[in-house]
Amino acid sequence: MRPFEYASAQSVPQALAGGGTGTAYLAGGTTLVDLMKLEVMTPQRVVDINRLPLRGVSADRDGLHIGALERMTDVAGHPLVGTGYPVIAQALLRSASPQLRNMASIGGNLLQRVRCGYFRDTSTPCNKRQPGSGCPAVDGENRGHAILGTSDSCVATHPSDLAVALVALDARVRLTGRTGTRDVRLADFYLLPGDTPEREHDLRPGELVTRITVPALPWATRSAYLKIRDRQSYEFALASAAVALDLRGGVIRDVRVAVGGVGTRPWRLPTVEDALRGKAARPEVYEAAAALAVEAARPLAHNGFKTTLVRRTIVRALTNLGGSR
Amino acid sequence: MSGTARTVSVNRVDGRLKVTGAARYAADQPVERLGYGYLVLSTVARGTIRAMDVAAAERSPGVLAVYTPFQSLALRGGGNPFSVGHSWLPLQDAEVRYHGQAIGLVVAETFEQARDAAALVRADYEVRPAAVSFTDGIPGATDPGPFMGEPARLEFLADGVDSIDEALAASEVTVTGTYQQPGKHHSAMEPHACVADWQGGQLVLYSGTQSTSLTVGTMAAALGIEAAQVRVVSPHVGGGFGNKIATWAHPLLAAAAARTLGRPVKVVLTREQTFTVSGNRSAVRQTVSLGARRDGTLVAVKHQVWSSQSASGGIFESSAHTTSRYLYKTENLHLDQKIVTLDVPPPTWMRAPGQESGSFALETALDELATELRLDPVELRLRNNATVYPGRNVPWSSKHLAECYRVGAQRFGWDRRNPVPGAVVRGEWLVGMGTATANYPGERFPASVQVRFQPDGDVSVSSATADLGTGMWTVLAVLGAQALGLPISRVRSDLGDSTLAANIGAFGSGATASTGPAVAAAAQAAITALITLAVTDERSPLHGVPAADVRYDQGQLVAPDQRIAFPDLLRAVDSPGVGATGTAAPGPEHGQHAFTSFGAHFCEVRVNRFTGEPRLSRITTVIDGGAIINAKTARSQIVGAVIFGIGQALLEGAVVEPETGRIANGNFADYLLPVNADVPAIDVHFLNHPDLLFNPLGARGIGELGTVGVAAAIGNAVHNATGRRIRELPITLDKLLA
Ligand SMILES: Cc1cc2nc3c(=O)[nH]c(=O)nc-3n(C[C@H](O)[C@H](O)[C@H](O)COP(=O)(O)OP(=O)(O)OC[C@H]3O[C@@H](n4cnc5c(N)ncnc54)[C@H](O)[C@@H]3O)c2cc1C
Ligand code: SF4
Repeated sequence: MRPFEYASAQSVPQALAGGGTGTAYLAGGTTLVDLMKLEVMTPQRVVDINRLPLRGVSADRDGLHIGALERMTDVAGHPLVGTGYPVIAQALLRSASPQLRNMASIGGNLLQRVRCGYFRDTSTPCNKRQPGSGCPAVDGENRGHAILGTSDSCVATHPSDLAVALVALDARVRLTGRTGTRDVRLADFYLLPGDTPEREHDLRPGELVTRITVPALPWATRSAYLKIRDRQSYEFALASAAVALDLRGGVIRDVRVAVGGVGTRPWRLPTVEDALRGKAARPEVYEAAAALAVEAARPLAHNGFKTTLVRRTIVRALTNLGGSR
Repeated sequence: MSGTARTVSVNRVDGRLKVTGAARYAADQPVERLGYGYLVLSTVARGTIRAMDVAAAERSPGVLAVYTPFQSLALRGGGNPFSVGHSWLPLQDAEVRYHGQAIGLVVAETFEQARDAAALVRADYEVRPAAVSFTDGIPGATDPGPFMGEPARLEFLADGVDSIDEALAASEVTVTGTYQQPGKHHSAMEPHACVADWQGGQLVLYSGTQSTSLTVGTMAAALGIEAAQVRVVSPHVGGGFGNKIATWAHPLLAAAAARTLGRPVKVVLTREQTFTVSGNRSAVRQTVSLGARRDGTLVAVKHQVWSSQSASGGIFESSAHTTSRYLYKTENLHLDQKIVTLDVPPPTWMRAPGQESGSFALETALDELATELRLDPVELRLRNNATVYPGRNVPWSSKHLAECYRVGAQRFGWDRRNPVPGAVVRGEWLVGMGTATANYPGERFPASVQVRFQPDGDVSVSSATADLGTGMWTVLAVLGAQALGLPISRVRSDLGDSTLAANIGAFGSGATASTGPAVAAAAQAAITALITLAVTDERSPLHGVPAADVRYDQGQLVAPDQRIAFPDLLRAVDSPGVGATGTAAPGPEHGQHAFTSFGAHFCEVRVNRFTGEPRLSRITTVIDGGAIINAKTARSQIVGAVIFGIGQALLEGAVVEPETGRIANGNFADYLLPVNADVPAIDVHFLNHPDLLFNPLGARGIGELGTVGVAAAIGNAVHNATGRRIRELPITLDKLLA
């Protein structure tokens, strides 16, 4: 770890005043401190934002609001979340471990960095960590890497489970900077790696994530998050699916599908949704729709199985949710 | 006194120390004026270091010294795996033999300073091509020469049979399979760590080790001092699994640096460093061919093995010689071990070295044969149960494998298994059951123990053995209590210090079997010493009583007309305590029998019919390990070993990059070990038949046994569930998806 300055902000304006290039905000620290120890992130200044009033889980006409500093555990256990949006609660509970979830914040979760082994090992090149140094994962060990949204510069999957659920639900993030506040669809917030994998999202220097809003969606009560991995717990997804179903009389009136563990960002699947909407909730329908998920897939040497896996994950999630097995 | 152990079930005597954090592992030892060392590792797989730039590191805050091949610390010796785990000594030359080799040591006032300075060291390599791919190396595999007292290529053929292939060709039914598994890492909870503290000319080395005595010899040789000048202290070891027998680079460098700097030095490997600085288990490929009659009688077993080995030496997996060699009766047997020498970190012993991989291949092949014959897999094994050790014609001292199968099948409900693969579906899961045999040799080494009566009423039982979390602290207390007729609470065990009674340590699952009999011998000798004191010391109430008239009974000395408790006696004669050392060793009877522990595993798995992930539902393991001393810690050993096998079966494997020789998953984020959620209910049952031909305790040893066969049982259950035979470990969902 490199030496750094530490300050604790008491208010949003104070935090913003201390923010900017070279400064990292510290929430739960489960990503930041980890990567500082590995010298993957080397901020000169760390501004602790845990005292900021960015808390609370509430619902109103606009939907569900979650303060950026709410802890994963608390959000997962909140009744508004558990009953109204089970997909969110499940995505959180399938993440990390209880100890980590007790520390980790929702804002930090959305900004967590990739789990690519080369990114985390400073003795290897990595375009994301050191722009222009190369991407060893393209020809190296890439079993866990992405098949969707990749570029020759970077093939790392987006790691957050929560983000997959939120993208399925069309959530927005509120970003607060010195010059004002803006709301951005989470799906638009994340950037594809392209030639600039070091740019992961549309957060400007010094900006804070202050809250997340999930639009009201009454039928999200029928939603679920299915996460597939080698180990049964404490591991990131090889493939995951966030699914919500509006099902009436065996017909899919509306549906949301997003997948994780396969894309360079949380991956919403509008074509799959279109293929399901208005159809009977039946296995052939699920399978035909899920096949569309991987039309643009670009498998690498070790992750070709993910094209099958993600399709099956979607089908399994729909089957569990929609019945008709 | 009968030596046979009475099975008890008691908590660990060191349990409280451990759960309160008071137990001192090597890195926890409070030593004043510590310097902290941090290793610098190579980032290429093979070559010569032209130069190293250490200027920035030396200027870095708190740095005391930077050692490299160019500013070195003199070391000597090594050369056998019981001493240093690799064939070279660190920093004695500029050669790089594998990725992640120690090429420098930075010592600073704090750990963080040392680590930060180490990151500033730059090495300039003249890189040479490295051979790191196991698969690519197989065509060039070589004969390792004889090992375990037998040739690498070993063959027994029936009269009139010219070759094993002829015997196979003549068999009514044959199966052949090729089985592969990646290299693996011990991943002990406690990373390798040491503190080297010179007190005058005497080195005190705190180091997590399975053998304080081997470490003493290695350190003395390396540092050019007498063994008497080295004391190794290792009271608690947070898991060894074979990787803390050999000495690795860190204690050698720490001790040499401490001597040069004139202050103690601590080196703790980071988790990532343990992957390359310490040992590992070979990658293994095996081909097994079985020939049998229609009724299931085996007539030919051919088992070929290719194991990775390091150009730096080490211990390769001897998969066939430890399993097919004796597990089943067959007229024709052919074993062939080859090694693939690579520029990779050295393999070393790892829990059930040989059996772990060998049983996966052999026990899977038997399942394939059972499927082919439409015979129950348990029945097939019972039909081929060996009663004499093949080729030696000695019987086993005590073998109850058939009972393991009977009892296990009953406890597990094996009769509910549907033999048709893929036939059982429960919801979205395909369900299957599998079984396999476990075997591990009974090992016994000479060992000494000291038993001492203390004036405060306690008895100390001590030996220079090790407790790797295995329960030795408790075993010493239990056996001491039994030998002396005292409650366990009055027995204080002590171990893990090379100055205690001589003991080679804990490996080969032999610690209890070796040390246990010595406890009885020492107790007897201590009683004799106590009686002698009682009848010879003028201040003793028993003074002058003929020694033959005094007997010991539960902490008291009993003479014809009086009795006295030993603490009263010791106080009466003003004694600081009296005791004696007892030694036990295997005798000549050991040539007349074969000694092996056996077991049978049964497991139920489910495989998701959509996404293919294999999950365990339950496991039953029945153990024939001789007498069980402490059922509670014994059960923990088996449960831990079964979990070890779950890792082998479903999760673990080093990924060595073919281009760089770097272990791509050399950390706990990427090298997957089972977590609690992966571990089902594990039902452990001990047959508990004492093996009195092996030792007077009747206890053989169980530390490694439980892991043998687990991977095959799981793979066989996966086959039963899905009809898919996965011959390459780990069995991950991608292999089951198609
Ligand atoms: C072993 C392990 C396993 C894990 N497993 C999973 C898993 O299975 N699934 C999963 O989804 N996640 C997993 N995680 C990731 C974990 O969820 C994230 O580390 C965590 O959510 C980050 O939150 P934090 O509050 O600790 O963020 P921090 O570490 O404090 O911050 C992370 C980043 O976000 C920035 N930041 C934080 N808050 C704000 C804010 N309000 N505004 C602007 N910038 C901010 C920080 O500067 C930093 O760059 C795992 C982590 C670990 C260590
Ligand atoms: S995949 Fe991305 S994060 Fe991984 S090495 Fe390549 S550039 Fe770096």
